[in-house]
Amino acid sequence: MKKSKHQEVDIPVTPMLDMAFQLLTFFILTYHPAPSEGQFGMNLLPASPAIKMDAAKAPDTKTPNDSVPASLRTITTQLFASPDGKLGKVMIEENELQGMDQLRAKLKEFLDPAQGDLFEQAVIQADPNLKYEELMKVIDVFSGLKINKISFAELEAGVSL
Amino acid sequence: MSGSVSSEIKAEPNLTPLLDVVFQLITFFMLVINFSNDNNDQRVRLPVAASASPTESGPADPDRLVLNIDSDGKLLMNGEAFDTESAMKEIHLQAQLLRSSADRAAKRKGLPKPDENSLPTTVVIRCDKNTHYSQLYRLITKCQSEGFRKFSLKAMNAEG
Repeated sequence: MKKSKHQEVDIPVTPMLDMAFQLLTFFILTYHPAPSEGQFGMNLLPASPAIKMDAAKAPDTKTPNDSVPASLRTITTQLFASPDGKLGKVMIEENELQGMDQLRAKLKEFLDPAQGDLFEQAVIQADPNLKYEELMKVIDVFSGLKINKISFAELEAGVSL
Repeated sequence: MSGSVSSEIKAEPNLTPLLDVVFQLITFFMLVINFSNDNNDQRVRLPVAASASPTESGPADPDRLVLNIDSDGKLLMNGEAFDTESAMKEIHLQAQLLRSSADRAAKRKGLPKPDENSLPTTVVIRCDKNTHYSQLYRLITKCQSEGFRKFSLKAMNAEG
């Protein structure tokens, strides 16, 4: 085969470009940025070991869920729901509160270093009828105040506003 | 350019830079596309919580069990909806599977058998914002009784 002096080899890039545009179109159409999801990580131990620890002091143990063992280092929060599942009153250690702002203020009061920082975990006892959205608002407040040890319990049904 | 014009004028735009750009864009979209949300059921509308910590951007932790719970309290898993009773069975089944795989992994590595009462798996709970607490609590207590200790409650960082 004889070659000319200046032989130009034209690689047709147009089909490749076509294909590349097809691919690009596919990725653009399938691209939907996932909404940014956050999480609350927590270690939830079953209620029974806590009772067992308490049982060392008081041998007559009660059933695990009807009463959380009273402890100095635990903030017990009770959430009551209105019939439509919205958050009604909130009880923290015998204090009756309404709304998130009061809850946040009260928690800050509890966590005040001047009080000796006695509390390091929280037990949330919630009304069975309470919506998860409302519970999450409360968890959000706790988490915002760096209380990350949270455990859950259920209030008896029918105990509402 | 030689400057000589043949009788037949040929316009040949240089497509190579365009192709380069297009490939760059393709690469970008390929990297950004997210296939890891397969477990995230779109029927579940998460509540909003501003202080929820962002999930790790790295590869998803393989050792996790995602529980999607819809507004009726049904467990959505692998495209199926389980009512309360079958959800309990399903969680039990999943726990058994995870326990046996943890046992096997420990055996392979020559480690002592892991604690029977606790599983290292994180239970990721994606619960609809309108779910009642009792339904969620029932599932959480079931998971606890099966030996799950690590939980992660999902929420949206912002309204969207």
